[in-house]
Amino acid sequence: MINQSQETALTAAPPTMALQGISKSYAAVAALTDVSLEVLPGEVHALLGENGAGKSTLMGVASGTVIPDRGTITVLGETVDELTPGLATRMGIAIVHQHPAVLPDMTVAENIAVAVPERFLHGDRRAAMRGILDRVGCTAHLQDRVGNLSIAQKHLLELAKAMAVEPRLLILDEPTAPLDRDSVGLLFDLVRSAARQGTAVVYITHRLAEVRELADRVTVLRDGHHSGTAVVGDVTDEELLAMIVGRRLEYTFPAKQHTSGDEPPVLTVEGLSGDGFSDVSFTARQGEIIGVAGVLGNGQSELLRALAGLAAWHSGGIVIGGRRVNRRRLHRSSAYMPADRHHEGLMMSMSVRENAALTALDRLGAGRFVSRRREVAVVGAELAGLNVKAATLETPVTSLSGGNQQKVVMARSLLGKPDILLADEPTQGVDVGARAEIYRILREVSGSGVPVVVASSDAKELEGLCDRVIVLSRGHVVAELAGDEVTEERMIRAAIESTAHKRAEEHRTTGSRLSPVWRRRLEGDYTPVLILAGVMLLLGAYIYAQNDRYLLPFNVTSVMLLVSALGFIALGQTVALMTGGIDLSVGPLSGFLVVVGSFFFTDGHSGQMLVLGLVLMAALAASTGLVNGSLIRFGKFTPVAATLATYIALQGFSYLLRDTPGGLISTAVTDVITLTIGPVPIAFIVLVVLAFGMEFLLRTTRWGRNIRAVGSDEESARRLGVRSTRTIIAGYVVVSLFAFLGALILLAQLGIGDPAQGVSYTLNSIAAVVLGGTSLLGGRGTFVGTVLGTGLIVQLLNATTFLGLSQTWQYLFQGALIVIAALVYSQARGTGRTAESATR
Amino acid sequence: MALQASERSAITPGPGFRLSRGLLTVSIAVILLFAVGAVLAPTSVDHSALLGMLPFAAVLAIAAVGQTLVVQQGGIDLSVPGAVSLAVVITTHQPAGDDDKLLGALVFGLAVAIGFGIVNGLLIGWRRLNPIVATLGVNALMYAVVLGISGGSPRRTTQLLREVAGGVTFGIPHSVYFGVVVVALAAMVMKTTVGGRRFEAIGANPAAAAATGLPVTRYRAAAYIWAQVLYWLAGVLLAGIIAQPTAFQGDAYLLPSVAAVVLGGTSLLGGRGFLVPTAIAAVFLSQLEQFVLALGVSFAIRTLVEAAALTVGVALYTVDWAAVRRRFAGRRTAATA
Repeated sequence: MINQSQETALTAAPPTMALQGISKSYAAVAALTDVSLEVLPGEVHALLGENGAGKSTLMGVASGTVIPDRGTITVLGETVDELTPGLATRMGIAIVHQHPAVLPDMTVAENIAVAVPERFLHGDRRAAMRGILDRVGCTAHLQDRVGNLSIAQKHLLELAKAMAVEPRLLILDEPTAPLDRDSVGLLFDLVRSAARQGTAVVYITHRLAEVRELADRVTVLRDGHHSGTAVVGDVTDEELLAMIVGRRLEYTFPAKQHTSGDEPPVLTVEGLSGDGFSDVSFTARQGEIIGVAGVLGNGQSELLRALAGLAAWHSGGIVIGGRRVNRRRLHRSSAYMPADRHHEGLMMSMSVRENAALTALDRLGAGRFVSRRREVAVVGAELAGLNVKAATLETPVTSLSGGNQQKVVMARSLLGKPDILLADEPTQGVDVGARAEIYRILREVSGSGVPVVVASSDAKELEGLCDRVIVLSRGHVVAELAGDEVTEERMIRAAIESTAHKRAEEHRTTGSRLSPVWRRRLEGDYTPVLILAGVMLLLGAYIYAQNDRYLLPFNVTSVMLLVSALGFIALGQTVALMTGGIDLSVGPLSGFLVVVGSFFFTDGHSGQMLVLGLVLMAALAASTGLVNGSLIRFGKFTPVAATLATYIALQGFSYLLRDTPGGLISTAVTDVITLTIGPVPIAFIVLVVLAFGMEFLLRTTRWGRNIRAVGSDEESARRLGVRSTRTIIAGYVVVSLFAFLGALILLAQLGIGDPAQGVSYTLNSIAAVVLGGTSLLGGRGTFVGTVLGTGLIVQLLNATTFLGLSQTWQYLFQGALIVIAALVYSQARGTGRTAESATR
Repeated sequence: MALQASERSAITPGPGFRLSRGLLTVSIAVILLFAVGAVLAPTSVDHSALLGMLPFAAVLAIAAVGQTLVVQQGGIDLSVPGAVSLAVVITTHQPAGDDDKLLGALVFGLAVAIGFGIVNGLLIGWRRLNPIVATLGVNALMYAVVLGISGGSPRRTTQLLREVAGGVTFGIPHSVYFGVVVVALAAMVMKTTVGGRRFEAIGANPAAAAATGLPVTRYRAAAYIWAQVLYWLAGVLLAGIIAQPTAFQGDAYLLPSVAAVVLGGTSLLGGRGFLVPTAIAAVFLSQLEQFVLALGVSFAIRTLVEAAALTVGVALYTVDWAAVRRRFAGRRTAATA
């Protein structure tokens, strides 16, 4: 209830944001039509509507990520011509996305640093960050890696970042979905106090209870149209529900099954619990289509995946046709039609025939061979039966319409003769004509005795299609409807009146018995550094025990010089890997630069020539980096392909300049480069200082954080305003400049311009970086670790001579070291990011 | 479960053979290269030049087909040098010139190759290590075995192997027969067997393949094992072709194998694999070297031409040329307006 004085205050102040007559279409499909919305300072404005009603698009317009086709945006009385995400942030508009824009490889503190400008972190940075987190009840440690946080904690972090910038307009997109009861209470307090201080809040939700508890006014969208705005105290639940439902349909459904109730059950799900859903039970009788309803992201997809055997369940059971099935069997015998056809449904580069035949290959010929004739006949008949429109069977599946693509997925599912059919959003992106056919086919499959379970965020669709519907909210079944009860209104009512909350999620404990402090240390970037240092000390002690000449100054100096050459190049490689790429050209580049240098650093050249040579080398290095970066970003080359091309080209240039070794480097130059303080070469000191310097840059400057942000998750980084193309190209230039430093040491070591040298530094630099604990998936790693990794490789090579071992041992040690290090590090990092996600 | 098939119009089967963009591109490139060679440097296409080039092209083609299997599953195999060198060393050092011991050496070499393939497969498939790291490490381990067996010194191959692998019948080097048969066999297995078709589908979209119930990890690991078998064959042939192969013979095959894969149209991010185009790209790379050699230009120019060919080749696939054309066309109209 709003009291009178507050209400007058609301109407008197100019709106924080006013959207007028907003329209937006995507490829002829209208997402928003002539929608207006005013948000006043100090009010909490709820935004209601079904899935796909246009709420998120409207908020995209409000936060600058979506540019409307028509309409005006007014912020604090001033009309804004073009709202960009950057401008929105500067005007004090903050949005908390449904999918948090966080960087998984970086720590909580670093995530805050990327998103929150310096001026909001008053006084002691760490204390300020802690304060930001405490305000929203986020218990994550500042040094926790975000990838290891629970979903709820990630959302709280996202919320903390938004609150920290003291926004004028705060947009919350279904903020309570992943939160438990306590966090929800805290969130509500937070929103109320923000509103009291004059912040305008837009609160997107599906739950009437939350609207009642929190909001002053409510706006309802339906089908992209403005359906109504009201003061919350003045409307009843019935009136709100009437505003939400009632979309007109342009397609028809097949007649429903008339069940007598004594048909045999074909599918029984008993108390099934898994990630995202808990205690789900229902029974499907022969001929019944089961619907899974609910607001998008409330466990429907997870339930379907479990029923398809694609995800494990913790407890409960599934009985199909009287037989209890395990996950393995289910995985083989189920047919799953995913919501995301492009990602999980189709092999987009393959033909219609190849896609459809995949599940039927076993029975399309003799033995292990596939008969093309049978394949064409069987697949062709199935596709024709589903009325697929394609030019030929060999047409690439990409050129089909969404509806026909979905039918190809169906054909594949049916050709596998499944025991159960699961369809997640079967008509998403499907045209009206194909919809009716898909419904008909699902009905026929169900009639043949195969259990069919359909999840859809479109309640109207479930109403028309299903005989029995379970409604999920936060993973719990909040209603089971059958017969005449299966109506859109009942489903939406059950979903929005639900007050179920997520059960409190604990910190992810992947079988770890370690205390949080130790887990954090083990997952920290510097663990490899400690391991390496230990290994090096032990190895050194062992060699010294075997041969006391090992620590003579001469050997120490030469080892350190070797470390310097490889070390500089490996530092550069670290940058490349940190961005999620790789640079194969560093070896040939350093070799090429040595050849270039051999024309300038010979005896009898003046000082100017020396400087000229240095400048030229650096310039050539930088341009190589530019070429690499540009090929990757603008030419869309993979990093391996791009740097392989420059690798070969640089070798060519080396031989172009000198086809045989030549150009003796002046000893004066060599002496300067190999100058030592005691036994320690200055070059080595520079290397160590640079490594620490880079470490510092990486952790504390915007440049360093951007590099890691891009490598960690490019999409999230982009949403946070990081310019990924610029960051990556600059990164490759830095890589090449480090190769230039390495080339200077090589120059002194080789003493001559030899076009054949340098190549081996590519693979050695990668090995050194990997040993140092930098992840090839990008986003995490250390420069100090790289130096130690380099040290260990050089130490091993050196050790074999002191221990009198053959080259065999050298290779054996090196290979074993790389494999063991990779295994240990991947174990320590846990299963947060797998190779699967890296290939995306 | 074909539903009411009779009343619906059937889809035409379509051509039994479809020319992929990769096949078209590399075929034209090879034809052009031979044509230009015939005009500018006739010695690059004469009989002796071809006899010199083809055996190495065949070896590269076989190794590159192995690399294709790995790359199409979203990986990359840096253990080519170790694998080829190991096969060379085992087939030359074990029999030590004795024909009777050759078969044993071949079987032993194959077993070792499969063993290392399993190691790669386990590390990358099940332990989910990054392919670059895992194969880099395994490559070093393979070189340890190479040096352990050979001590780094070269040795002559047996007479039998020289005849089988290095001989010439009907004017064509034997290795070419091997190469053609292996590539054809691999392509056929891929297109016509249940396992091959599943393998292709998993490469094209592992997530979708998993959703249909296929064991993705097992197939991915298998790619590394089959690749090792092919590298082994490449190494055995090499041992027969070269009179006295060194212990580091495989080093020259890593980059060209990747280059051939890329030129054949297979993306290094994985996806659809193109075996025959890869093999033709191997011929292209070998002949390119022969051509530039015949022109009498230096090694430097030769290398630069290779780099240019690779860059152009990749750009043909990756750059959205239609968009580029539109952009330039748009600019021109904007300029005239």
